[in-house]
Amino acid sequence: MSELATLARPYAAAVFKRAKETKSTEKWSKSLAFMSSVLSDEKISVLVDNPKVSSERLSTLMLDICQGQVDGEGANFLKLLVQNKRLDLASAIAKIFEEYKAESEGYVDVEVTTAYPFSKEEEKSFTSALEKTLSKKVHMNVTVDKSLIGGVLVRAGDRVIDGSIRGQLQHMQKALQ
Amino acid sequence: MQLNPSEISDLIKKKIENFDLSAEAHTEGTVVSVTDGIVRVHGLSEAMQGEMLEFPGNTFGMALNLERDSVGAVVLGSYQHISEGDTVKCTGKILEVPVGEALLGRVVDALGNPIDGKGAIKTKETSPIEKIAPGVIARQSVDEPVQLGLKSIDAMIPVGRGQRELIIGDRQTGKTAIAIDAIINQKGTGIKCIYVAIGQKRSSIANVVRKLEEHGAMAHTIIVAASASESAALQFIAPYTGCSMGEFFRDRGEDALIIYDDLTKQAWAYRQVSLLLRRPPGREAYPGDVFYLHSRLLERASRINAAEVEKLTGGKVKGKTGSLTALPIIETQGGDVSAFVPTNVISITDGQIFLESDLFNSGIRPAVNAGLSVSRVGGAAQTKIIKKLGGGTRLDLAQYRELAAFAQFASDLDESTRKQIERGQRVTELMKQNQYSPMSVAQMAVSLFAANEGFLDNIEVNKVLDFEAALQSYMTSEHSKLMDNINATGDFSDEIKNGMLKAIQTFIKTHSW
Repeated sequence: MSELATLARPYAAAVFKRAKETKSTEKWSKSLAFMSSVLSDEKISVLVDNPKVSSERLSTLMLDICQGQVDGEGANFLKLLVQNKRLDLASAIAKIFEEYKAESEGYVDVEVTTAYPFSKEEEKSFTSALEKTLSKKVHMNVTVDKSLIGGVLVRAGDRVIDGSIRGQLQHMQKALQ
Repeated sequence: MQLNPSEISDLIKKKIENFDLSAEAHTEGTVVSVTDGIVRVHGLSEAMQGEMLEFPGNTFGMALNLERDSVGAVVLGSYQHISEGDTVKCTGKILEVPVGEALLGRVVDALGNPIDGKGAIKTKETSPIEKIAPGVIARQSVDEPVQLGLKSIDAMIPVGRGQRELIIGDRQTGKTAIAIDAIINQKGTGIKCIYVAIGQKRSSIANVVRKLEEHGAMAHTIIVAASASESAALQFIAPYTGCSMGEFFRDRGEDALIIYDDLTKQAWAYRQVSLLLRRPPGREAYPGDVFYLHSRLLERASRINAAEVEKLTGGKVKGKTGSLTALPIIETQGGDVSAFVPTNVISITDGQIFLESDLFNSGIRPAVNAGLSVSRVGGAAQTKIIKKLGGGTRLDLAQYRELAAFAQFASDLDESTRKQIERGQRVTELMKQNQYSPMSVAQMAVSLFAANEGFLDNIEVNKVLDFEAALQSYMTSEHSKLMDNINATGDFSDEIKNGMLKAIQTFIKTHSW
């Protein structure tokens, strides 16, 4: 996983620079997401790994699949990935691209897991509180997980803020050992 | 069902009262690979070098390699239960171990957990294992002795408080024996001892503990054990753990003595960890920072001045200097002191006690090679009387060695040469000393005085030790006042000199041996 990130970083950086120049980060974000979803398909990934499939065939195939979803530059990028045999990096590239995008636009993607669904006001106040602690704009993605028992679990990149009952119980278990 | 001591309801209640219920913020990562105790972790973008990492199952690790997209860490302890995809948490703390008086008399592992079956250790304080050594301003020069209780060492290669004196020699030359005698001799002096056993057999460690208990020396001793069966990571951090425990006493204006037995094995453990972390190998496959590994450890052994002690204790201890004396041990292969690790440690320390298997096998024990052994700073710390009397010993032995080689070929020697050789033989004999029988300053002074004044010259070589034993028992029974006076003052006044002279003269006239 860590090696993939190292390999994917130069691709993601190049794509992001180009996207900024042409002011098409949204479009690139969508096409990269599409590419990674295509390549995460089991049948496609078998095909990518198959040495009998020549790179020409693979690139025409990929372009056919992605028709309408990627523009000219996107198609060039796909061809480059096929040529360098780095198609398996697509999802890592998409992930790093999103990180770059979030950083330059000054927001963080935050995964929030909660035991009970938020009401509208709760969500609002929670977002503003989070924005204060992280000192950045927050794009929240809320999921509900009953196994937390109560409270919330916030995940922003590597940082984890565990305010759930489950986490506190685990913490307590350790303290009492 | 049996209850643990920690399950008493009062204790549980207290723990619940003190339990912190605030939301916990940390950074997390995922285990990518586990190989031979080395874990690669993806994420952990805020990890520090040397930070403690928390793995599932109450296991801890230490971050050693911080790379762009991953962290290389060593697991401290068993790693069988860690698998790919496990979450790893940052603790935000550099690895810490418990320190304090409560550790005295205990045997602990490299993380400070008790392994002697005597229950939990009630320490309040902890201290990070890696600390920067005291600065230049905080230091004071070495001017007080640490008596190791061995004639040959205290007379010729004196060790001062705050000094680093290397004990070096092949296997089976009595390196550990010197260290154990040194610990036993600190009984009642107020010097706290720490014995760090690295990569040794469990049976040897048990043996050391038993011997110290037999001689009543465990009360002032902490034993830190990272045996050969424990992971390389623990063997590599054990000396730092011991050092932190010793620094606790140093920083409170007390004196401590630490023995690292032995640093060769620590270097091996560090080499293993480094190679598994894929750091580039250098000479003898050691990593590039193997010098720093030992220099940063030994630099922490030091003497600090009263002002620094006052500062560190917040004004509670005034007018007292603190010291941590280190006796690192290095094992050589076939007497080769020019191998990588021995040369490094020789250059770091303030002198070395060089032990030779030839001497050991010919019955000279402790097998100290007086020519190659030096103490660069200990002379300033030596007791006056030993300094005065020991100077002659060193000279006698040096001249004897020079002549002995040459005298093997010459059949008839002139009078002065023959005398010189005979004196040398007797002094060599006198320097022998049994294990576990350290001597006081006065006892040493009497033996050295007898040799210096030529009382041994008329005694057969194989009777020298009998003579010495008889003389010592005579002195303790008949002249205890004089002996106490020497032990108390350490001076070599005319009164003491005449007292000793008269006592030995009467002993020779009236006693047999």
